[in-house]
Amino acid sequence: MMFNPVDIILSFVLLSVLFSFGTDRVLILIKLLGFQGVVISIIPFFIGHDMSTGGTVFTLATLVIRGFIIPLSIFVAIRKGAIRRVVEPIVGYHASILCGLAVIIGATYISGRLDFGSVSGFKLLEPTAIALLVTGMFLLMARRNAIAMVIGYIMMENGIYLVGSGLSVGTRHIVEFGILLDVLAGVMIMAVILRNIKQTFDDVDTALLRTLKD
Amino acid sequence: MVEIVFLTPFITGLVAFFLPKIIGRFLLVLTGAAHLTLSFMLWRDQPQAIFDQYFAVTPEGMLSLLVISLLFFLISIYTVGFLKESQIKSEGLFTGAMLVFLATMTMVTLSDHIMVMWIAIEATTLASAPLINTHRSTASLEATWKYVLICSVGIAMALLGSVLVAFSMGQANVGTPISFSALAGVAKTLDPVWLKAGFVFILVGYGTKMGLAPMHTWLPDAHSEAPSPASALLSGVLLNCAFLGIFKTNKIMVAAGLEDFSGGILMVFGLLSILAAATFILKQNEYKRMLAYSSIENMGIIAFGTGVGGLGVYGAVICMLHHSLIKSSLFLSSGNILLGYGDRLIKNTGNLVNGMPRTFVAFFAGFIGIAGFPPFGLFIGELCIIVAAFKAGFHLAVTVFILSLCVIFAGFANQIMKISFEECNTVIKIQEKASMVWPQYLLLLTSLVLCFFIPDSLNQTISDAVTAIGGGLR
Repeated sequence: MMFNPVDIILSFVLLSVLFSFGTDRVLILIKLLGFQGVVISIIPFFIGHDMSTGGTVFTLATLVIRGFIIPLSIFVAIRKGAIRRVVEPIVGYHASILCGLAVIIGATYISGRLDFGSVSGFKLLEPTAIALLVTGMFLLMARRNAIAMVIGYIMMENGIYLVGSGLSVGTRHIVEFGILLDVLAGVMIMAVILRNIKQTFDDVDTALLRTLKD
Repeated sequence: MVEIVFLTPFITGLVAFFLPKIIGRFLLVLTGAAHLTLSFMLWRDQPQAIFDQYFAVTPEGMLSLLVISLLFFLISIYTVGFLKESQIKSEGLFTGAMLVFLATMTMVTLSDHIMVMWIAIEATTLASAPLINTHRSTASLEATWKYVLICSVGIAMALLGSVLVAFSMGQANVGTPISFSALAGVAKTLDPVWLKAGFVFILVGYGTKMGLAPMHTWLPDAHSEAPSPASALLSGVLLNCAFLGIFKTNKIMVAAGLEDFSGGILMVFGLLSILAAATFILKQNEYKRMLAYSSIENMGIIAFGTGVGGLGVYGAVICMLHHSLIKSSLFLSSGNILLGYGDRLIKNTGNLVNGMPRTFVAFFAGFIGIAGFPPFGLFIGELCIIVAAFKAGFHLAVTVFILSLCVIFAGFANQIMKISFEECNTVIKIQEKASMVWPQYLLLLTSLVLCFFIPDSLNQTISDAVTAIGGGLR
């Protein structure tokens, strides 16, 4: 059985997924986010399209934004706001890790069933993408800490990016870069809102954000 | 030069962030006027875009663009009066965000590439977030947080859907650009399974932004916390922009012969939205939230009509036009009421007919229009949808539809009567200036005129838009 470098680094991403289910620290989540960002950005180098100069520049820019700028902007929001750094789970950590295992198994099963017809030939690409997507949703639903929710959103976005790059949808780099800029601007705005929330409520527990309802 | 229509407000918007108050207000109206002129020129000439892989003038986009442009111009006039009366701390941010918001919405109407459409719709979320947080209160912060997070996550679903639609092209269409028009052309060769999956994700994603139940939870908060001109824009045109994404995807579905699948889902989401609105509008105690739920209802009607097909699509497009005109006038009037009474609760208002007579005329006429009575256009649209649904044999669905509309009317009328005629001793805090009532009158007048007389060119654009998804006056 042949292993290629992509499957090996993707297996690390799957481990990081499991880790992000179990961690109680926001800071660790941010580091995991950076790691995932770097890994999914370098995948296009291995897929074997003819990499033009422009393509290389765009891929490197993606790497810098996904791997460093986005995690750093959240980190800066935390530092300046000195936001409490535990994630305030709705679902407990042990149950979360079990969920994480179930997600990875489920993702592998589903991507085996679906006929992606992937051109890449990497075994772990689709499972990792689906696992990242579901992990993001899990963090959004099962954590009350606003920072963890933003991180969940970014993980989802990373998963979608991986789906797109793995299926070699063939969008132009300029379009992909536009999408990335949107995501970046979104994260920046969320970071600003996080700081405002922290300043107003002295906390980032979203239980405080439930006054508007019918 | 299609691109100039959205580049103009984008540039002036960026400039407006740094301008002093008076010049910023002037620039707002000026850009509104320029945008309106450019939109009409675009409609008349139908030019080719410079980046024609990404942008194109389509009939449905053109309709939305005309509505956006007209509404923005009238709202910008109102905004000048509104800004003088209300104390907004960072006015440069407000006017700048309004203009950038206009630019992003214009980009939505003109984009033809499926991913560029996504970029533009996500950009509308980002540009409008500062508008909702204008008052800087804890409530508006909460509304902004919910808006940005729920809509971003929802729209991320639409991105996944767009990727899946692109994936449905498979190996057979390698060279085809991923634009709505090209995909509709080769729809028969697309893989139906992936196309269906893509449509569902796009509907859920853009449906979140459009305010379809059960993804509507951000909408009442955002609409009630935003300053009234911003609420009018959010409700009047932003929801249409999100609908445009669904409409264009539905076009591909129809061309691929999957209209039963997409229509069924659209009808279910539409009915759910109408039912949700009927549930919440009855016990509503804030008038801006009440208007927001009415928007959810109308988006439900539009989705339902699109799902029914045939005459229903025509009705849906008519509803979309008139809902924009009437609902934005209602939100502007609600801004006057808020300034006059200084309170959002219905129980602290009353006797509008004597306190603010000119606002009362606009508010009450708007209510009659939004409730679907003639002589306003929503009546025709809703009638078309109901007739089409009966013809197509959806008897149960249309019964639920009509009953819900009745309930909503009852709840709405009850609250409006309280605001208009009930005893109230509050001293009205503002004068009703001409610039703060005439925009509403003009919006309502447009709806009234369009009900009796539609110019041939406009009628042609409407029928071009609806025939593409199998609709028409049949």
